[in-house]
Amino acid sequence: MANGGWKIARSRSGAQLPLALLAALAIALILIGKAQSNLFDRARANVTDWAAPAIQVVQTPLSGIDRWIGSIGEVFQVYRENLKLKEENARLRQWQNAAVVLDTRVKRYQLLLHAVPDPSLSSVMARVIGRANRPFLQTMILDAGKAQGVKPGQGVIDARGMIGRIFLAGDHTSWVILLTDLNSRIPVVIEPGNIQAIMAGDNSAAPQIDLLSQNVVLRPGMQVVSSGDGGLLPPGLAIGSVIADPAGGSRVVLLADPSSSEDVNIVDFKQKAELPPSVSPSDLPATAAGLPPAPPPPPLPVPGATPGPTPATAPALTQAAPAVAKPSAAKPDIVPPAAADSGNE
Amino acid sequence: MERMGSLMSGRIFSSTIPVVLGILGALIANFPVSFLGNLVPPPLLSFMPLYFWAIVRPDLMTPFWAFMLGLLEDFLSGGPPGVWAASYLAAYAFVDNQRDMLAGLSGVGALVGFGVAALTACASAYVIVDIYHWRLQPLAPSMAELAITVIEYTAAVFVLGAIHRRVVGPLRSEF
Repeated sequence: MANGGWKIARSRSGAQLPLALLAALAIALILIGKAQSNLFDRARANVTDWAAPAIQVVQTPLSGIDRWIGSIGEVFQVYRENLKLKEENARLRQWQNAAVVLDTRVKRYQLLLHAVPDPSLSSVMARVIGRANRPFLQTMILDAGKAQGVKPGQGVIDARGMIGRIFLAGDHTSWVILLTDLNSRIPVVIEPGNIQAIMAGDNSAAPQIDLLSQNVVLRPGMQVVSSGDGGLLPPGLAIGSVIADPAGGSRVVLLADPSSSEDVNIVDFKQKAELPPSVSPSDLPATAAGLPPAPPPPPLPVPGATPGPTPATAPALTQAAPAVAKPSAAKPDIVPPAAADSGNE
Repeated sequence: MERMGSLMSGRIFSSTIPVVLGILGALIANFPVSFLGNLVPPPLLSFMPLYFWAIVRPDLMTPFWAFMLGLLEDFLSGGPPGVWAASYLAAYAFVDNQRDMLAGLSGVGALVGFGVAALTACASAYVIVDIYHWRLQPLAPSMAELAITVIEYTAAVFVLGAIHRRVVGPLRSEF
């Protein structure tokens, strides 16, 4: 262990200037990285794509060892754990029945109210091929990338709840920023009460809650779900429950456990663009006032052509007229349920 | 003439070993699969050859290579660029200033010397990241990283010593 046994080469005098220059370069890099955060990202994604097969080969046997090591402690409390699980299972069955009844009721109400259907939600299933737990960064690498339709910003969930979101997508791999990571900040809703808040990771196991309103008191056990603000994450993704922070404020105990997740879903939240209501002849101001619709304008005379509209041009001109005469305040397509019902009767 | 050529190629090969080991350390430490299920953060494996040869052969482990190893650490770890590059340079500056003292240490003293250099690197990274995000980070992960790095150095120093004795050492410096 001794260092003193070696002949030391002395070149200290030559090291000071390069040190200062390189230190300045490193600081410049930090500043550039702050301004242009995706400086390394493309190269990182390429390296991960390239190394993915090797990572998978090494990961497979190690995950077995990892599970075995992780289960050593559990062996001694299997009996107690089993009793607890049975009790929890019975309670969950009751909740499942309640959830099914409520779900049916909600669907019926939505139908009655002509509620706007939820945006379509598709997902890509991916396998976790790597995890990095550095002091300043907690990430996960998945075996799905742009080729599978994965895009930065999409939410990542496992069977229990939300884990994080994609922050870098290569061709066949993607990096996930965990909810616990320092850089993670997502808008959430705390129920009951529909309390809006921001959940911010700080590299600890339980992210912090930054309330948007100061006049709200959080109680332990309140449920935290994604709010959907910003349009990247779907609303209502289960995240966790509120606990009190001994240092003040509140934190969230996550439902998902990123350290044990193996298969995850990358949620593709396709928010449809809101289209303006289509124009019908009854939307014209003249028709709305009870007058007959205006006749279509006569076709323009074309020199050398036979008089009168040709069958091909006439419908086009007729269709174009309402579009030009579209009123600024079009009548909405949505009809109140009561009016719609009376109309049908 | 042939003997001269092989001597030259052997010399070049030997002189690249410290840097190659540093690169290898960065690759292994940042491989996204953990033997211990991410219970502890990976050690700064690339810092071990950096420290060792910055003391015994600074002509083979120059500030430029300290910077490059730090940059590689930044690149592979997924963090913002420049953080570990600046931190490794800070540790290198410490080693460069205290080389005589550090080289004279042995036994537990040598381990403490490495610990102080690693602390310089970790503390620099901690401060830079705090400023970068303008927010205090939890100290525990950095402390764990420092502890695991120092613990693993106790084993690594024998390997590095053996490599130096057998391969790099016979290649004498002109200094």
